[in-house]
Amino acid sequence: MDGSLISFGHWLQNREFALAIAGSDWAYPFVQVTHFTGLSLWVGTNVIVDLTLLGVGKKSSEPVQFSNILFIWNWIGFGIAVIGGLLLFSVSAETYLTNIAFLTKLGLLIPLGLLVHIVIQRNAPAWEKLSEIPRAAKIAGITDLLLWLSVATAAVLIPYVG
Amino acid sequence: MILHFCRWLQDNGLVSFLNGTAWTAAAMEIIHYFSMFIVVGATAIVDLRVLGAVGARQDARELADRLYPWIWISLTLNVLSGFTMFAGTAPSYYGNTIFYDKLMVILLAVLANIIVLQQVRKWNQLPSMPAWAKLIAFVSIVLWIGAIIAGVEVPALTGVG
Repeated sequence: MDGSLISFGHWLQNREFALAIAGSDWAYPFVQVTHFTGLSLWVGTNVIVDLTLLGVGKKSSEPVQFSNILFIWNWIGFGIAVIGGLLLFSVSAETYLTNIAFLTKLGLLIPLGLLVHIVIQRNAPAWEKLSEIPRAAKIAGITDLLLWLSVATAAVLIPYVG
Repeated sequence: MILHFCRWLQDNGLVSFLNGTAWTAAAMEIIHYFSMFIVVGATAIVDLRVLGAVGARQDARELADRLYPWIWISLTLNVLSGFTMFAGTAPSYYGNTIFYDKLMVILLAVLANIIVLQQVRKWNQLPSMPAWAKLIAFVSIVLWIGAIIAGVEVPALTGVG
């Protein structure tokens, strides 16, 4: 691993705020709560849009134009998750930066997930208006779903491989 | 008696297999987190609609009808994966009051879900969302965040899980 990245991690985890979170009994769990609450909004809304694109459950009720109404809260969730995630990361940055599961999550899976997500966001309003969901929409939906599932998988594996 | 049951549960063949093998144990965690995100996220969207913070042009009943099937499916997966993880070290949860609090908060949160789902049809026909509808929607969001707080506090304060 690149030495400058490690020294950045070392520098970050010795900042006053990072030490304060690490040293407090209640701060760390509350930062976790922030991360998980943000993720619930982000992943929850993502999955709903993905499943809609896949046509799952569509016949059960009248069509709902999910994309427009969900994306605002979707990005609010992402913002909250990032704030929580950055704080969690800062507490033991050096360890995270040598963890293969974390590096895969942050360096590969999240950027890919965001890319697919933005493609969906740009196209979903048009896709949802069509009488039949185009194949591209279905591919984008399943890719997004699998990518965010693999982000969760990589996150869970961090302590397993560390 | 309950402790005895917890020990029996822990020694169950399927429970030991699911928790004793690294990949199945990881799979349980992934299912538990991912299904929780869907339950809390989708519930929050319906609640936020009742509170007037999600697309007012979107029919509230339609939104609930679309999201609630996913909430119930995810909740089932969440309970199953959560129970399996609990069963793996069941005796250590015995007498763990924060874990009991977590279960109580989740029970209340699900109760709020049921009320919202049942009442949203009625609320939807009114010219505007009544104050008590907004109160329940707000309480529902607070309860689910409370469930997450209790969830992270179980290992943080008791070292279990």
